Amino acid sequence: MKILIVEDESEIALSIKNYFKPNGVQCETAANYREAIDKISLYDYDCILLDLMLPDGDGFGILRELKARNKSEGVIIISAKETLDTRIEGFNLGADDYLTKPFHLSELLVRIQALIRRKNFKGSNSLVFNEIVIDILAKTVSVNNIKLDITKKEIDLLLFLIGNENKVLSKGAIAEHLSGDMADMLDNHDFVYAHIKNLKKKLSKAGSEDYIKTVYGLGYKWQDE
Amino acid sequence: MNKKLLDKTTRNFLVISVLILIVMAPVFYLISHTMYVIETDETLQMHKEDFLENYNGKFKKADIAVWNKYNKSIKIVPSKGIVKDTIFQYIKFDKWESEYLPFRELWSPITIEGKPYTYVESINLVEMEGMVWSVAIMFLLTITLLLIGIIWMSKISAKILWKPFYDTLNQIRDFEIDKNKQPQFLPTNIEEFDTLNKSIDRLIEKNTAIYQTQREFIENAAHELQTPLALFQAKIDTMFQLPDISKEQSLILGSLNNDVSRLNRLNKNLLLLSKIENINAFDKQPLVLNDYIKKHLDFFSEQAKAKSLSIVVEFSQVLQIEADQGLAEVLINNLFLNAIRHNNKDGKIIITISDNSLSFMNTGDGNALVMEKMFNRFSKSNPSSKGNGLGLAIIKKIADLNGWQISYTFLDNLHCFTVKF
Repeated sequence: MKILIVEDESEIALSIKNYFKPNGVQCETAANYREAIDKISLYDYDCILLDLMLPDGDGFGILRELKARNKSEGVIIISAKETLDTRIEGFNLGADDYLTKPFHLSELLVRIQALIRRKNFKGSNSLVFNEIVIDILAKTVSVNNIKLDITKKEIDLLLFLIGNENKVLSKGAIAEHLSGDMADMLDNHDFVYAHIKNLKKKLSKAGSEDYIKTVYGLGYKWQDE
Repeated sequence: MNKKLLDKTTRNFLVISVLILIVMAPVFYLISHTMYVIETDETLQMHKEDFLENYNGKFKKADIAVWNKYNKSIKIVPSKGIVKDTIFQYIKFDKWESEYLPFRELWSPITIEGKPYTYVESINLVEMEGMVWSVAIMFLLTITLLLIGIIWMSKISAKILWKPFYDTLNQIRDFEIDKNKQPQFLPTNIEEFDTLNKSIDRLIEKNTAIYQTQREFIENAAHELQTPLALFQAKIDTMFQLPDISKEQSLILGSLNNDVSRLNRLNKNLLLLSKIENINAFDKQPLVLNDYIKKHLDFFSEQAKAKSLSIVVEFSQVLQIEADQGLAEVLINNLFLNAIRHNNKDGKIIITISDNSLSFMNTGDGNALVMEKMFNRFSKSNPSSKGNGLGLAIIKKIADLNGWQISYTFLDNLHCFTVKF
C-alpha cells in the first residue's frame, strides 16, 4: 500500500510515515503544492493525505488537478480548518474523507484502510484476520465460520483494533473513534473498558485467540503472537 | 415612575399656567372692579358738574318738587348736613329688578336761593358685575385657547425636534455588540444631537473594533494551536509504540496523553464558541427533539454506565424545533453530558419535554449553582472537575442565537436546566 502525504509541516508528515510503516503502508511526502503536483503526475498512489493550507498553493487546487487528470486516488483531507464550507467544498471536489487536526494517527490509519477497502471493493467488502472474518457491508463477524452476536459498536472497535495491529492504543483514541462527532465533548473514557471487555468475551467464547492485550498505564493493543 | 421628557416639559408648563391663572383671577377682578368704581364716581361727578353749570342760579325752590317728580336718579333733598362731596356704596332692594343690588351714590352740598340742599345721585353697579363677568369669561376662553394651542404646538414641535434623539435612543437600545449591525442615526442639524450621535458612533465603532479583534484573536489563537497540537498528539501516539517503556514512564505517558486530549477538547470548544459568535445567518431545519434524544440515548446511557446512573425520559409532547441541526445537537449533547458529568454515583437523570421546553434534571452536588456566573466562560463550580468550563457558555450562546430561554433551578436536590423554545 503506497500513499502520498501532502503536508508542509514536515514533523507531522514524518510522524505519520513512521507510524504507518510497520503496518505495511509506504509513505511518500510532498511539502508543497508544486512537489505534490510533480509526484501525482509521475506516480500512482492508493491514497493521498492532503493538507489544505500549503505554502505555495491551496489543497483544493490539487483536488482539481487530480480530477483534471482523471486520477482515481482516494483523498483524505487533513486540515486545521474546520468549517462546514471547506468540508463541503472538499467533498464536492472529490475528496473521500475529512479529518480535522489534531487527530490520532491510529484514527488516520483506519480511515485510510477503510477508504482503500471501499476503492478496491469487488463484490465483497470483508476483512480477514486469521480465524476472524468481518463482513463490513453485512456488519457481521464470524470466528471459524460461526457468526457472532455482536453490536455495531463492537464491530467498529474490532476494525479499529485490527487496523492498528501491534499498535498501543490509548483509551482516549479508542473513545474518540467510537464516539465520532461527540468526541469533542467527552471527558470520560471509562466506557471503552466495558466495550473491550465485551468484545474479548464474545471472541474468546467463539473460540478465537485472545489478541487484545492490555498495556499497563497506556491502553490496549491488538497483537498476534 | 419615569416620565417621558415631552410630558414632563408640558406638565411643568401647564402647572405654571394654571397657577398664574389662579393668582391672576382675583387680581383681575379687583382691578377691573376698582376701575369701574372710579369710572362710576367720575360719571357721578360729571353729572353734578353738569347740573351746577346748567342750573346754578336758575334753579328755584319751587322747581325742586317737579324735578324730584320727574327725575329718577338725581334728587334734590334738604341738606343732610354734609359740607363736601361724599360718595359711598350701599345695597338696596331694587323694585324694577326685584333683587338686592349694589349702588354708588353721590351726596353733594348745593345752595338754592341761599338755602343749603343736598344733591343726591345714585348709579346702579349691576352693569359692572355683568361686564366683569363677560370680560372674565372672554379672558378665560382666550387664555385656555392660547394654552391649548401653545401646548399642542410645543408638543408637535418638540416631537419633531426630539425625533432624532428618540431614534438614536431606540437604536442604542437595540444594539448588540456581537451582532454585525451598526446603527444608522438620522441626520440632524441640531448640534447637541449631532454631537451625541457622533459620540455614540465613535464609541460603538471603537468597541466593535476591540470586540472584533478580541474575537478574531481567540479564533486565530485556537486555529494556530491546531498544528502544534497535532504535532504533540502525533508524537505521543508515536511514543506509545516505543518498545521497553518502563511502568513509570507508561504512567507519565498515559497521563500526558490525557492532558493533550483535554487540550484538544478545550481548543475545539473555543473554536466552536467563536464559530457560533460569528454566525449571522444559519440554515434552519426542522428537528424533532424527542427523536434525537431517543436515537442517542444508547450513547449517553453508555456514558452514564460508569456512574451507574438511571436515566428517566418523560415526553408529554412531540417537540419539533426549527434550528441549525448541528448547533441544536451540540446544545442537547452538552446538556446531557453535563447531567452525566456532574452527577453522583448511582444518581439519576430525568429528561422531560413539555410546554415547548426541554429539561435535564440531575442529582449531584447538594448545593445550588451560582446563577450569575454559570454561563460565563471558564467559570467552574468545581475547579478540579475535568470539564473545561465552556459547556454552559456554548449552551447559552446557542440558545441566545436562536432566541431560546435557558434557565436553571435547584429543587428537591435536583439541578434542572430548562430550554424554552
